[in-house]
Amino acid sequence: MYSDLLHALPDVFAWTNFAAVVIGVIAGIVVGAMPGLSATMAISVLVPFTFGLEPLVALGLMAGIYNGAMYGGAIPAVLLRIPGTPAAVATTFDGYPMAQKGEGGFALQVAVVSSSIGGIASAFALMLLAPPLSKVTLLFGPSEVFWVAVFGLASIIFLLGGNPIKGLISACFGVFVSVIGSDPIYGNDRFTFGQLELLDGINIVILLVGLYALPPVIDLLETPLKTDGVNSSKLGTEPIWKALPRMNYWKTWLRGSFLGIWIGILPGAGGSMAAFMSYNEARRTSKHPETWGEGEPEGVAAAEVANNADTASALIPALTLGIPGTAVAAVMLGGLLVHGLQPGPMLFRDNPDIVFGFMWQFLFGAILLVLLGGSLATNSFARLLNLPRPLLGSVIIVLMLIGVYSINGRMFDVYLMLGFGAIGWVMDRLKFPLPPVVLGLILGGFAEENLRLALRIGRGDPMVLFQNTTSLILVALTVAVVVGPTLKKRFIDSRKKA
Amino acid sequence: MLNIFKKTAIAGAMILSAGAALAEYPEEPIEVIVGYSAGGGTDVMARTAAPFIEKYLGDGASLVVKNMPGASGQIGVTEAANADPDGYTLGTFNLPGMMARTIDREAGYDRDSFTYLANVVNDPNVIVTSKESGLDTLDKLLEEAKANPLAVTVGMSSLGGDDHFALIKLQQATDTEYTIVPFKGSAPARTALLGGHVAMGILNISEVAEFQDQLNVLGVATDERSQFAPDLPTFKEQGLDLVNGSMRGFIAPAGLPEDVQAKLIDAFSQLSDDQEFLDAMAATANPVEVVTGEEFKQLTSDLYDLANGVWQTTPWN
Repeated sequence: MYSDLLHALPDVFAWTNFAAVVIGVIAGIVVGAMPGLSATMAISVLVPFTFGLEPLVALGLMAGIYNGAMYGGAIPAVLLRIPGTPAAVATTFDGYPMAQKGEGGFALQVAVVSSSIGGIASAFALMLLAPPLSKVTLLFGPSEVFWVAVFGLASIIFLLGGNPIKGLISACFGVFVSVIGSDPIYGNDRFTFGQLELLDGINIVILLVGLYALPPVIDLLETPLKTDGVNSSKLGTEPIWKALPRMNYWKTWLRGSFLGIWIGILPGAGGSMAAFMSYNEARRTSKHPETWGEGEPEGVAAAEVANNADTASALIPALTLGIPGTAVAAVMLGGLLVHGLQPGPMLFRDNPDIVFGFMWQFLFGAILLVLLGGSLATNSFARLLNLPRPLLGSVIIVLMLIGVYSINGRMFDVYLMLGFGAIGWVMDRLKFPLPPVVLGLILGGFAEENLRLALRIGRGDPMVLFQNTTSLILVALTVAVVVGPTLKKRFIDSRKKA
Repeated sequence: MLNIFKKTAIAGAMILSAGAALAEYPEEPIEVIVGYSAGGGTDVMARTAAPFIEKYLGDGASLVVKNMPGASGQIGVTEAANADPDGYTLGTFNLPGMMARTIDREAGYDRDSFTYLANVVNDPNVIVTSKESGLDTLDKLLEEAKANPLAVTVGMSSLGGDDHFALIKLQQATDTEYTIVPFKGSAPARTALLGGHVAMGILNISEVAEFQDQLNVLGVATDERSQFAPDLPTFKEQGLDLVNGSMRGFIAPAGLPEDVQAKLIDAFSQLSDDQEFLDAMAATANPVEVVTGEEFKQLTSDLYDLANGVWQTTPWN
């Protein structure tokens, strides 16, 4: 197998194949940076055009876009508090405060270096460990996946800080949105009011753009007289080699990579859950947790390393079992199928040069990210902040409308997005946290579907949910997350009294 | 507003071109509406077949595939059913799904809404069991299902799809009962089988061909052994009359001019002898079985009756 890996290398360096990765990374960063455009969308637009292309050119473009977009999402997250992709939500926590303090340039550099490290770690996991890791995926049947989703939701509600009751209400709203559409088992319409457009449920990008992009834009437009950008003149950019020594986040990078890879191989959860978990863990183990949320660069590092670490690893179940770990991996699977690459154990034997070449492309895509992403972000995107606020707000609104419209080519989605925007604005004003809504939508559907499948397997007996070690470990983790903070607080309080 | 202009323009163009031009069909690009996103099985079939249809239509014909995903293919097929029957809009068609949807929900079309061109792919059902279940022969499976009704869990891709109809046929033929676990798609169902989370699965032959070593494939629901995997035995060989599969083909709106219809059907019927086409389809795991025109219509009708009969006695939702 490792000789196959080396054998595939020369093809990757054919100039067309290499150029494809470069173009893909740049396109991915741009797409990721635009609110409303996502890697999933870019790749699904690309798939029909790849019919006529050489496999490695097509796959190189996809690998580049995937890597680039996962970092690109951080750019507006840092500069404007608008996550460009669902996975960049956690990047806003500390990235935006940094930008406000005039450290936006450094935040972007931390993001690009961390993204790259996560991407490289993930590519190595895909290259070297795909077959054994796919065995891990097999341990996760419906009841285990249900607990993963519950654990993810519990973490976001109880660990994010702030008010858990408000977090719970936000998460419930997200879960409610996940219920809209066809019932996952019987296919009955739920809350669709006869609208064919709602049958497939609500696309996460529509919710994300509405909730996250509209409120900041309204803020931008509310104070049009302040012509100065957020911090236009003091982005705090310095050459990346000077910034590098300031980044000493090895533990966070290691932990984030591990979490990202791990969550990537589980069906469904994806980059946003990886980023949240990594952020939570890094904050929990930090020596100065009080600085988190106020512009702690390590928070940006934690989120970005994890959301890139899940890119290549999400392809492990996709390539070996045909089940994509994320929405992007699902679209890429289509791109592989177009080129006659059937997922499964034979894939690695039948088409080693293409499959392993594709993996190399992931690795090079991740490495290129540092070279291309750093300068692209600080030299061009960050200049956006120099625009007068009303103009900047208007540009973002136009991008949002175009992005959401182009998902399915229909105005219905645009109206839906505006509706979510209104809700998001009210929630923002009332200090309801928004991340639980996003994860509620992503994980709610998974939790429901898998709970119902598990109960069917157990023929209605709920004990089926507690029947094996993997499930029990996940239950224990969930309980720890829910009662842990309360217990810790009591412990500290009692120590104070004594 | 724009739509009205568009329709008037198209109608005008049609009137102008009606008499003389139809003889030279096709003189503009033909749009093929695929009800699923790019890269899915149906999409790959349409895109693989397109250049061959262009070749057999001749005269520089060109086919343009347009993806209109949503509502498990409903949005696309409804669009195709309601298009102008001028031969410039075709659509892909899936059986038994497209017919089952007219029964289990309100659909914007019925079986008379189409001109049936050709079914191209027939992906037969297979019954597989997980290695852990120990049910490695059909006899053992049936024995277990008879001894413990509902104890065998069956993973499949959805309710009201070809997998489900295969199971219903199996239940009727063998007087057994199973617990259905409908996953969202066949890959998750197959993964649950590989992990031993369900005991048995009903899938399609293209979905298990790569996984033969890790699953027990008990039989294939065809009359004769499938060319796609000739080493797998049929159920008929094992004394069980079970034939079922997932079919994918092409339709046009009802009321297509006869000469256009004939020209299209002629082009599709040549696919089955084109080795290059067969190879391309085999590479994308699409077992080919071309059935054209009236026969395709009859096939659809039969499947509708079967689905309707099942719905009357055991509705699936």
